[in-house]
Amino acid sequence: MATILDKNKVYAAGEAGMVEGLGPRVYRFLKAIPTWVLWLLVILWTIPTFSLFVNSFRTRDAQRASGWWEMFTGGEVGFTLENYQDVLAANATGGLWEALLNSIAIAVPATVIPIAIAAFAAYGFAWIDFKGREWLFIVTVSLLAIPLQVSLIPLLQMYSGGAHYTLPFVDKTITIVPYLQLEGTTTAVWLTHTGFALPFAIFLLHNYISDLPKDIFESARIDGADHFKIFYKLVLPLSVPVLAAFAIFQFLWTWNDYLIALTMIGSNGQALPATVKIASLAGEFGLREHLLTAGAFIQSALPIVVFFALQRYFVRGMTAGSVKG
Amino acid sequence: MDQIIDTLIAVVVAIGASAALFIGANKLFDLAPTRWRLFNAGAGAFVGLIVFFSLFANQWLTSPALWILLGTVVGGAIGYALGGATDRVTRLGVGAIGGTVMGLLAGIGLKETTDVTDQGDVVATSSNFPSLDPVNIVIWLVIGAAVGAGYWALRGRRTPIERDLVLFATIGWIFGSILVADLDGSKAEAVIAAAVIGLGLGTRVGLVPSPDQRAKEGLAGISRKYIFLTPALFFIFLTLVAPLVRTLYLSLFDVGLSATGEADFIGLENYGTIFTDETIIDLSNWTNIFGSALFWWGIGLLAVGLGVGLTLGRRRGHTFEGSGGSVVPTSLGIGLLVFAIFTSIRGTIANNLWWVFVVTVLATSLGLAIAVLADRAKGERFAKSLIFLPMALSFVGAGIIWRFMYIARDPSKDQTGVFNAAWVKLGELSNSGTGSTIAIVVLVAILGGLAFLAMRGRRADAGGVLYGSLALMLPVIWLIYRLLGPGLGGFQEGPNGETLPDTILFLQEPPFNNLWLMVVLIWIQVGFSMVIFSAAIKAVPQELIEASKVDGATESQTFWRVVVPQIANTIGVVVTTLIVLVTKVFDIVKVMTNGNFDTQVLANEMWQRAFTELKIGLGSALAVLLFISVIPIMYINIRRMQKAAA
Repeated sequence: MATILDKNKVYAAGEAGMVEGLGPRVYRFLKAIPTWVLWLLVILWTIPTFSLFVNSFRTRDAQRASGWWEMFTGGEVGFTLENYQDVLAANATGGLWEALLNSIAIAVPATVIPIAIAAFAAYGFAWIDFKGREWLFIVTVSLLAIPLQVSLIPLLQMYSGGAHYTLPFVDKTITIVPYLQLEGTTTAVWLTHTGFALPFAIFLLHNYISDLPKDIFESARIDGADHFKIFYKLVLPLSVPVLAAFAIFQFLWTWNDYLIALTMIGSNGQALPATVKIASLAGEFGLREHLLTAGAFIQSALPIVVFFALQRYFVRGMTAGSVKG
Repeated sequence: MDQIIDTLIAVVVAIGASAALFIGANKLFDLAPTRWRLFNAGAGAFVGLIVFFSLFANQWLTSPALWILLGTVVGGAIGYALGGATDRVTRLGVGAIGGTVMGLLAGIGLKETTDVTDQGDVVATSSNFPSLDPVNIVIWLVIGAAVGAGYWALRGRRTPIERDLVLFATIGWIFGSILVADLDGSKAEAVIAAAVIGLGLGTRVGLVPSPDQRAKEGLAGISRKYIFLTPALFFIFLTLVAPLVRTLYLSLFDVGLSATGEADFIGLENYGTIFTDETIIDLSNWTNIFGSALFWWGIGLLAVGLGVGLTLGRRRGHTFEGSGGSVVPTSLGIGLLVFAIFTSIRGTIANNLWWVFVVTVLATSLGLAIAVLADRAKGERFAKSLIFLPMALSFVGAGIIWRFMYIARDPSKDQTGVFNAAWVKLGELSNSGTGSTIAIVVLVAILGGLAFLAMRGRRADAGGVLYGSLALMLPVIWLIYRLLGPGLGGFQEGPNGETLPDTILFLQEPPFNNLWLMVVLIWIQVGFSMVIFSAAIKAVPQELIEASKVDGATESQTFWRVVVPQIANTIGVVVTTLIVLVTKVFDIVKVMTNGNFDTQVLANEMWQRAFTELKIGLGSALAVLLFISVIPIMYINIRRMQKAAA
């Protein structure tokens, strides 16, 4: 049995032959290769972001005249903060400041509301017994793979005119969802995000909540607590890690979203979030291209800060459930 | 600033209302066992609110706030009275009278006409008052009663027949008096129609005897699943299920379908359009596959990989032996074959399939490779953070970052994009005598080093070292050949025979511009697969790995025969997740090329057709196509979940 043997001896026995055959120096050289390759990849992976970061502090002329790496070899640096000032400042179509506020106005409700709703549902699926629970859960969660594209046209129609159903044969129309003048608003965007987030949120929270120890629920029920009390006195406090993980994931997802904001807000320049804003800057090319670096970096700054500050939760949110499989 | 405040108000109202509804529902049903009358009052008020709110949503009420308030209060009062009534006659009376009152209220609150609007413009007005036609009504009442009796018989005659009779007769009345009636009646007729509906439904409620204590407690319990699940299911239905059905429906129609407008039913014609449009799928050049060098290189590598795998496998008694020497050439070969296919078969669908293949395979394998490399390496956490970082960026931001990487300036000027700068520098190097000499000397030295390693590997009987070094010698030899012969890098011959710098238009030159776009998504997604694989590898039991080492397995054998089978499930999860993600890739293409230069993908095609050309039907059909292509993955996911639950 391997476990009873001394670990070091096992390794030594296995490697002695290799070291002998290759020679100790060659062996050490080969041993080091994986680390070199790893760090080479790390550098390659970092260069694009780093390029953008450096260029965002260089003037338009400098950006166009030389690559950023030439500053190490005596090229023109052209350091400036103007790109940031220019891209943030308000102009005819509104500056990036407003767009950032819009992004927050979308991301905050689109994070808070699904968490609450999904936590209810996850608890319901995990701890309330009823017929067809398994089946309903699987159907709900399997929807997380649906491409959002299938929902865009009907949802846009609903926001810009309500949802109406014409009864067949009798040709009378009833309103199911009234027209609420939501087209081109941030409300339409976070409502959409809320619905789209739920299957994944329920899946993630359910994995965690259903793994909570059964005893605490039983003893709570013996003490006369009902489901609602158990939910907010026991389950919510115990689920803080997974709630945080989902919150971070969902906040960044909605902050970074482009498709839904572009579709639902369209031409209302007042309500555009940062992603759509910088994408439209990118569409202009030419004159204001140098601002794009600063714009893209500002839009990315929040995710990067969140990523480094809350990395553990972030990674858990991105990967939870997948490994369980 | 204004719209921020508006949004804030909307958010607070939404959160407040939902929280009140949720907590209120919980508290209400808590009351059922102990304070039955109060519970009934709450339930009645809620029913009144819902009824009058739906009328308001249909724009059928003269002054909404007043009527909604009145309906809620009256509903509550009726509920309270009904909760107190215990004997049969009183309940029937309270129900019938209460229902009639509610019906009367609704009828009186109705306004005469409703504007039918589309995007805020009035396109029609319709009357709300039905004209009562006795013949119609009698016919429908009889049909309703008959259906009710049939239903009762089908249910096994367990409940008293009058409940079903009353309910279905009321439904019959709704049909006869409103749904099939002409809308040109008077207010009186509307009031009568509504009052009778109220009477019928109220009577139906009154016919149910007051529940005993056990039933009341049961009600409090049974209701929880609805309270906890309804909010989520409501949103999912509203934003996913119902729109999916409507998109399927819209995909069968021609353009011009708005909230109220007309559309032509054209069956599957939209789908026909998709598959006959040459920009969407173009098979005309499929024979080019066999003329492409990629194809033959791919076949060669595939043969080598399969040969090695099968030979090693036979020696060990199974069909295919997974190892570096067999898996690497096999997958490279398959990759080249795929490239040969998708550089010949063009169009949106081909691009999409190409994306799915390349990004899924490369992001998975690179992620796995990095996870293995980083495992127990120095600075593991820091290295992994930096590789994971792109996951935090938006696709739009990533697209912009990479656009600057790919920039191609006028060849006569300095290049500012990293790739073109390196490419042009390489061209200069290979054309300058001293530069290329130095490069060749360095490469020959590397070649010598590799040969030395191969020798040592042979002596030590370490197959990995031997064959790995030999395999690495091939590209080095190729580089030396390029430097000696045709040259390497970005240069072209000028009009007077001089060499001039030449750039690559990464985003504009099809078909390989697709590949440069895919690089962006790979750059982002490798972090995802790396983190998942890293966790999975660390979860492989240490005893298994030690046991295989004791048995004399090399690192490579341990990896292919112990680690890979242990993480097979995880590989499945990563692959399916990536396939779903890549299938609907949109942002990167939209921002970097907007589908120009032959880089169109399905999601962007759908967006352009639906939202810039306003071909709603065709856009819907493309969306359905996207949906259909992820159905197999959904099926796999469901099976996996069922297995996990079992």
